[in-house]
Amino acid sequence: MLAALAAGIHLQTVPSPTPHTIPGAGIFQSSYILSLAIWIPVAVAVVISVLPNPRGRFDTVIKQIAFFTNLGLMFILFIAYNQFSTFLPNVQYEEKIAWLPAIGAVYHLGVDGPGMVMLVLSGLIGIIAVLASQGVRERVRSYFALLLLAQACVTGAIAAHDLFVLVLFWSAATVPITLLILGWGGARREAAAWRLAAYWGAGSVALMLAVMGIYAATGGTSFDMDAVLKSPLAPRAEVIVGLGIFLAAATRLPLFPFHGWARDVYAEAPLGVVVLVASTGTRLGAYLVLRLLVAAEPDGARLLSPLMAGLAALTVIYGAAAALRTVDLRHAGAYLALVPGGVTALGLAALTPISLAGSVLGLFTGGLAAALIASAFTTISDRAQTRNLAVLSGVGPRMPKLAWLTVLAALGLLGVPLMATFTSNEMTFFGAFKTQPVGGFAVAAGLALTAVALAVVVQRVLFGAPNTDAPAVSDASLGETWYLGMLAGALLWVGIVPGGPKLPGTDQPLFDPGIANVFVADLPEIVAPYAGTSGP
Amino acid sequence: MKYAALVPEALVVAAAVALLLGARWRLPAYRRYRTRLPAVVAVVLLIALGVELWAGAAVATYFSGGLVLDRFALFVKAAALLAALVAIGAADWAAEDSPSISLAMPLLAVFGVMVAASAGDVVVLWAGLELAGVAGVATLALRRPDLGLRLLLLGTTASALMLLGLAYVYATAGTADLGGIRQALASSAPTLPLAIPVLLVVGALALRASFTPLQLAGPAGWQASPVSNGLLAGIVAAAALVAAIKITAAVGPVSGVFASYLEVISALLMLGGGAAALGVRSPRARAGLIAACQLGWILAGLATHYRVGTASAVFLLGAFVIAATAAPAVMGTLGTAEVALTGLGSLRPHRAAAIAIALLSLAGAPPFAGFFGEFAVGAALAQSRHLELLAVGLVGSTLSLIAAIGTVRVLYLQNPIEETRRGAPLPVWTRFSAAGAVVLCALIAAYSLFASPILSLADQGAEGLGLR
Repeated sequence: MLAALAAGIHLQTVPSPTPHTIPGAGIFQSSYILSLAIWIPVAVAVVISVLPNPRGRFDTVIKQIAFFTNLGLMFILFIAYNQFSTFLPNVQYEEKIAWLPAIGAVYHLGVDGPGMVMLVLSGLIGIIAVLASQGVRERVRSYFALLLLAQACVTGAIAAHDLFVLVLFWSAATVPITLLILGWGGARREAAAWRLAAYWGAGSVALMLAVMGIYAATGGTSFDMDAVLKSPLAPRAEVIVGLGIFLAAATRLPLFPFHGWARDVYAEAPLGVVVLVASTGTRLGAYLVLRLLVAAEPDGARLLSPLMAGLAALTVIYGAAAALRTVDLRHAGAYLALVPGGVTALGLAALTPISLAGSVLGLFTGGLAAALIASAFTTISDRAQTRNLAVLSGVGPRMPKLAWLTVLAALGLLGVPLMATFTSNEMTFFGAFKTQPVGGFAVAAGLALTAVALAVVVQRVLFGAPNTDAPAVSDASLGETWYLGMLAGALLWVGIVPGGPKLPGTDQPLFDPGIANVFVADLPEIVAPYAGTSGP
Repeated sequence: MKYAALVPEALVVAAAVALLLGARWRLPAYRRYRTRLPAVVAVVLLIALGVELWAGAAVATYFSGGLVLDRFALFVKAAALLAALVAIGAADWAAEDSPSISLAMPLLAVFGVMVAASAGDVVVLWAGLELAGVAGVATLALRRPDLGLRLLLLGTTASALMLLGLAYVYATAGTADLGGIRQALASSAPTLPLAIPVLLVVGALALRASFTPLQLAGPAGWQASPVSNGLLAGIVAAAALVAAIKITAAVGPVSGVFASYLEVISALLMLGGGAAALGVRSPRARAGLIAACQLGWILAGLATHYRVGTASAVFLLGAFVIAATAAPAVMGTLGTAEVALTGLGSLRPHRAAAIAIALLSLAGAPPFAGFFGEFAVGAALAQSRHLELLAVGLVGSTLSLIAAIGTVRVLYLQNPIEETRRGAPLPVWTRFSAAGAVVLCALIAAYSLFASPILSLADQGAEGLGLR
């Protein structure tokens, strides 16, 4: 399967002569499918925030509204995914409306394969984040309104095909997420929220400077990605702009040493926010590098790739080492959640077609793995009423469902076969060892260290000698099982059938075109400048 | 019909005079409708706005070139009228000492802005600026005469500097007409003798524009009435900015003498305003400092001294004047201390939403009006290769945004507290004030949605000033 993928990506300079035909294609057509995915949550958030809710009487209704909104969105996004024309080298579901013509800003949305993968992840995470937020009891109306706004910002940043729209949604995401942590976080929520605001704010400044740099260098007439990213820049300008983009991405992904917000946010934020931030929120960083640096500024990307590989290696090693040293389970989850970001960054740094393809798949799989490990450790600490690793010991037999899900999370993080991360990690390493051997080996060593850290933590917490002095322990609730199960299930689903299930006895896709087929759309165009560095 | 375009000015002045006379002689009609005065004034402003949008579209000249009604004037007058309208609508009138004066002075200040925006020569420009300034002083002195006196002295100093500079410019150009000055300076070199008066004028205007929002940061500023704070931070500052835009356009041919100076002032305001906003706890002080940061963005747009930059600055000016005028007014007496706003989101949802959106817009948070304006100015700065100024502005805006989030957190994420701990009574809920708050929110949202035609009008305004 890997070889087929690699060969497919390598050879695709023209669209596939036999793109898959999905049963039911063309049933539903909308020119505004991406706008619906962005603005429906905003509209529902506004409605929720003005709904009367005396003494929390309608808290359950509000939760249901948020859930069914996300379910509806997932339905819309699944239609988009199902109807997506695989292997086409162009942006699909485009919407283009003049917004600020005086400065060349256009409301331009559109997705290609990598964008579609991110959108599917965003839709899935929307449902999971709401399920993970069922425990919210205070100011329910505000919480779900902010959560929906945060989701809309992430979806908007994914679908943006204009730099103005990208900056708008990228920067806007900081506000609801900071407020969510400030309002519903743990004991150290103030520190967590302000750190997040400071780091993400700095990232937004860097992105805005990079965007303005591109704008100025391309004549100052347009922010449309179609126009500005296809205009060649001077090599020096590419490096300067690339540095800004990389800095913005490094604060969001996050990469060492721009990770200062991650530990506190993952450890203090409410569960739904942890899921959202650890998955789509942070994957936006890698998506930004792919979209604005790798795909648009090849000279800048080549020059910055050793730096990116170095930071990727440092991130993975740091995450694993810090997880080994910490005595707080939620901190351990936070550190381990840094690892998939480092692997994805390595793939982007390697700049080979197969490593880039691995990174694109890693946007999806890494996001799921990071969210799963951070939220599984958070749920264990909630259910065990302590996060102290000195106290937590041998709770596995008393929380069997959580034990299973945590083990799956650990396997997903490490990228073992059958898990979706296996495919993405392997592709990343196959590509990276050729062009970034030192970085590749360092990241691999970091993954080995991660395995040790996971073994130590999981062995102690789940399978160690039970601590009789520890507080009472209970297993995951139905809601917690569902949201953790969905994360683990998605990792397994893509790991087992990345090409989508087929109709029995045929080569026709059943209903899912397969993420492996979808994410390669437009990928040959993106990797074309690096084709010379591809495999044997 | 030629004079129909001056009807808005006439309506505004007539309403202000009627309010002052009614209060002075306690006319029966005034006493009978005293509680409905804000609504009556709002209706007058709405009519004036309607007439302005209908009749102001035609370009015309009045009083031998003293007043020029062009697209720039149309834009600024509409923005000032809207700012006064929403501030009056959303204000807590129970917190004002003298509703008649607190209503009349904003009208006079708006009239000052309208005159300055239409000014064809420096004398009319100066007159409009002074009128707005005096109205600000009068309303501030109602509650705090000491503050009023201080503001008067500062304003007089700024006026003296400005008059001195304008006199030199007049002597150099040989005309007081703004278009004439531009033509006369077109062939001049940016010499030191010319630089000194231009610097005096620009400095005086920057001082006048910025000291009112910055003054609100001091403890004394919090004790002024909310409407007077809004008037000073928004409309009076806008008058100074309008004068700055017109004068920088007129002396544009010798922009080399003031561009660097303007860059330094704008950088100081953007960074200083944002950083200082993080350090204060009073919401009204915070709003003033955040407004100072946005004011720096407007000056940065002028520092580019070309059409797109000025158009972006004018576009941002519209967003600024609405949010900066309305924010302190809608906070009412609760704006003095952060604890007073605790949990307002569940007690007064309309007012809390208006405060949050006005503050976020001033801080340049997406997707509110301020973000669009700052982005447009940022694009102009990038086009003109002022990337260092852009970087400073972005840092300032980030600091402002963090400060604004702090206030939004208090509004929405903290549970309401008892009245005794709040330190100030909750604003009285009326349909009128709720509608005012909703209109403010809708206006800021509409500014983003309809950014294209608004920016296009601002661009026509900049073109009308003779910029290329």
